[in-house]
Amino acid sequence: MTSSKSFTRRRFLATTAAASAVTLSPPFIRTSRAAGKISVAFWDHWVPGANKAMEAVCHEWAAKNKVDISIDFITSQGAKLELTIAAEKLAKSGHDLVQPSAWSPAAYAEDFEPVDDIMAAAIKANGPTYPIVDYLAKIKGHWVAAPAVTGSQLKPPCARISLLKKFADLDVTKMYAGPGGHSDKALQDAWTWDKYLDVAIKCAKGGVPFGLGLSGTTDYVDWAGALFHAYGAELVNAKGDVTVNSDNTKQVLEWAQRLVPALPKDVIAWDDASNNKAFISGQASLIMNPPSAWAVAKRDNPAVASDTWIFATPKGPKGRYAPALPFFWAVWKFSPNKSAAKSLLAHLLSRQSAERFVAASVGYDIPGFKNLRDFKTWSEVDPPKGVVYNYPPTPDQIVTVAGSPAPVHVANQIYTQGLMTKMIAKCTFEKESIKDTIAWAEKQLAAYTMM
Amino acid sequence: MSAIAAEIKAEVPAKRGSLKRSRRWALVWSYVFLIMFAVFFLMPPVYMLIMGLKSSGEIASMSNPWWVFHPTLDNFIALLTSEQYLTFFRNSAVISLAVVAITMLIAVPAAFSLGRMKFWGSTTLAAGVFLTYLVPDTLLFIPLFKIMAWVHDTTGIALLNHWWALIIIYPTLTVPFCTWIMIGYFQSIPKELDEAALIDGAGYIQMLTKIFLPVALPGIIAATIFAFTVSWSEFLYPMAFTVSADQLVLPVGIVTTLIKGDVYNWGQIMAACLMGAAPPLIIYAFLMDYYIAGLTAGATKG
Amino acid sequence: MANGITVQAPAPPAARRMTMQKLMRRRSTTALALALPLILLISGLVIYPAFFAMYLSMLDRKMETFTGMRNILFLMHFDTFWMVVKQSCIFALSAVFFKALIGFVTSHLVHNLPPKGQRKWRGMLLVPWVIPTAMSTIAWFWLFDPAYSAINWILAKFGIGPVPWLGVTSWARFSVILVNVWYGAPFFLIMYLAALKSVPDQLYEAAAIDGANWWQKVWYVTLPMMRNIIAITMLFSLIVTFANFDIVRILTAGGPVDSTHVFATWAFSLGIQGNNIPMGASVSLFMLPILGVAAFFILRDINRRGSSV
Repeated sequence: MTSSKSFTRRRFLATTAAASAVTLSPPFIRTSRAAGKISVAFWDHWVPGANKAMEAVCHEWAAKNKVDISIDFITSQGAKLELTIAAEKLAKSGHDLVQPSAWSPAAYAEDFEPVDDIMAAAIKANGPTYPIVDYLAKIKGHWVAAPAVTGSQLKPPCARISLLKKFADLDVTKMYAGPGGHSDKALQDAWTWDKYLDVAIKCAKGGVPFGLGLSGTTDYVDWAGALFHAYGAELVNAKGDVTVNSDNTKQVLEWAQRLVPALPKDVIAWDDASNNKAFISGQASLIMNPPSAWAVAKRDNPAVASDTWIFATPKGPKGRYAPALPFFWAVWKFSPNKSAAKSLLAHLLSRQSAERFVAASVGYDIPGFKNLRDFKTWSEVDPPKGVVYNYPPTPDQIVTVAGSPAPVHVANQIYTQGLMTKMIAKCTFEKESIKDTIAWAEKQLAAYTMM
Repeated sequence: MSAIAAEIKAEVPAKRGSLKRSRRWALVWSYVFLIMFAVFFLMPPVYMLIMGLKSSGEIASMSNPWWVFHPTLDNFIALLTSEQYLTFFRNSAVISLAVVAITMLIAVPAAFSLGRMKFWGSTTLAAGVFLTYLVPDTLLFIPLFKIMAWVHDTTGIALLNHWWALIIIYPTLTVPFCTWIMIGYFQSIPKELDEAALIDGAGYIQMLTKIFLPVALPGIIAATIFAFTVSWSEFLYPMAFTVSADQLVLPVGIVTTLIKGDVYNWGQIMAACLMGAAPPLIIYAFLMDYYIAGLTAGATKG
Repeated sequence: MANGITVQAPAPPAARRMTMQKLMRRRSTTALALALPLILLISGLVIYPAFFAMYLSMLDRKMETFTGMRNILFLMHFDTFWMVVKQSCIFALSAVFFKALIGFVTSHLVHNLPPKGQRKWRGMLLVPWVIPTAMSTIAWFWLFDPAYSAINWILAKFGIGPVPWLGVTSWARFSVILVNVWYGAPFFLIMYLAALKSVPDQLYEAAAIDGANWWQKVWYVTLPMMRNIIAITMLFSLIVTFANFDIVRILTAGGPVDSTHVFATWAFSLGIQGNNIPMGASVSLFMLPILGVAAFFILRDINRRGSSV
């Protein structure tokens, strides 16, 4: 606890520009129990080379504090990350600091060390968190995990500039201009899900459909979640009542029925890699993805990469919702070296570390704090210049996670079972009526709330 | 037997020609169908080889998937010089060999005891061994975490995320089947053998090591091969119980480190799978005859 | 373990009975000692965890409060659960049936060959069983991949349109079964081949004299002789297939719309991904009674035939 006290006593500059020079990491005070050994596990980053920044930051911290550190990177592929968290909780041993994905902090609230002190300082330094971060990790008023910088991602449109211009007459670089440019506000206002549908159909006619998967993996659940939110189609409300049977839901499904014929025939079986493949190979004109697809295209198919633009998600009647998938950093209660783990956690949350992570991930990572969205990386990365400039959410966007605002354990099931994409698949591929689809979803949701 | 056959053949010389002809036709048809099955059975490994020989550029260009236009060994070389892949390989090899040894040390004496030494409750126990096969790993891996927690609490030894812990856990997958095979094998050995041994004044342990083991060697080899194959390819337990890259075994290592979510490194994945399949393939190539001999005696009697 | 028992050959009847009794006791102790590692292993790492899984299945989501049969009752009223039960049965039964069929046919084909060539063919046909499933399933996954499907590439040459191998419920179900059959059939082949080799040639020759054709030989000679091995192999395979995890998990992860989920994968998605471990445990527990029933029938069948022969 000593380390945290020294931490809160510190003064942090809230203004972001000045804060970049300040190191957030508190001096790590070694107690008699802390033998100076720590083992940590992070999400295995999908952007080639991004793990290196994490290693560097950790080793620097370890050298300064004379701690032995061992770092593991765990893939989220095949739910290995969730499996590891569950395993360590049950076996009561493992890493000191782990990186659970979105839904785990709430599920393991009793098993993670509260980090209210560290979060208070981080919020002071980095600005307020996005509300979904609180929703996922602030359980009964206490922070049980801190929003991880690495891996936390948005899934906005990632599109081919030339194809959208050619087939739909939409200049996305004008709608969301790069650094120094002037975005066309009128175009932005017209950038609705209806317009999106229109563009999707035109591109499909041109032979380069949108690559929107409809299976249960994260990429697709995320974008479907934002779509549902934009129309105000809440599956389960915050109180835990099943509210899927609404006109809003009907509207979404009707929209989807018009979209699906314009998608590739096999999107129902896509995994997280399929949309990237389709985009990188030039078969898809738009996917909903963080910049990893672009980063790989830069390596494997430069022509596609330099024709790529990432910009805001379309808006619906209820607002412009940006689909997000946050990760967290948490310290196990069973950790024999909690003070070291917490010290490292604070160090990782510093603006300086965050900036390095964002740079190494070529802008992929979106920190959970509002004042950490002004890093140079997002304006500098190219080609084309400004490709990820519009990737961090602007203030008019509501950052959201699919399944919210249902109670977290219910939303967890909605998300991991991919209920939204399943609903769309049911009323399109499986040719069921919208009424039956909603009735089916109601039953599923009732079950989730009872679990 | 041949005498009878010869007699028949001599008696019906007219039928012999047609018999021969139909034999030949049967053989031709056998080959035709076997080739069809072989194509089906060998398609994935052949595909692994083709893709393993392609560069990622050639794979991305989506040219003829069944032909290599610019063969390269880069994928294989990259893997064989990657310390990580070699670590997976070493872990798999050490674990599998250790598990085979432990399995045999447990299964052979137990099978001898259950199959030859009938004692109170031995039949129940033999049935019980069979029934443990009904409890799948997919049910057991979560409770096993709890056992690990208990071990950790009482002894301070952390079993999670250590490859050697798998050596303790894998035998649950191999021992029941191997015991069952060996019971069958031991039972097929004539009773006179142990009577003779007893008269010669041998104890049961001597009887097992001096007489039964040599006779049952084919069965033991068959069980060994089975245990090796199972340990080499087990997926769920290592997936659940190991995390760090230096603790992983081949199947899990390939799935978790070479597949990077968004981006599949297909050429390397396929090369890695092919090389990972090599050790059991080689073992089967050499020991196949023993395997069949062992199963014939053991399984058919069970 | 110096356990040598020396039997004194010439002994008066009373003393002799004594040694026999001693011998029997010794024998039981030795036998138990020999089987002890097996008993410890199975009770510690199989039976105890299995009972623990039952206890786990009676906890709530947070694993704090005991809820009795709540999870089980919940599942009984959840239609997706019954769909998973149905799919698991379709998956396991049809996969085992086709494995047995292909194994039976191929074993006969190999058996028909001249002995010299058998080795080569046997080796080739055994390959699927030897490759770790996690790895071969990845290759299948790619063979089925919508954009890169190498199978569809061949089919396209014959003018057959792209098959959505994993994209449509019926095809996806077919594909997971296909991969399972591909993996498991060689095991049947080997077991049946071993059994075929133990059928005495005289029986076939006798049948030939009686004028039996090929089908009759199979029906009246081969099948009865192989009955036990067929049943045992099917039982083993049924158990393994029923509890299958990796093939479905890697190939479809249960999709599209849950249609290919089997017990293990659904339990995994509820328990691990859905952070509800007791619910996952409850789902996997349902494998036990179903497997138990199958084991009972098949073993009873073997015993009956065994005693009547």
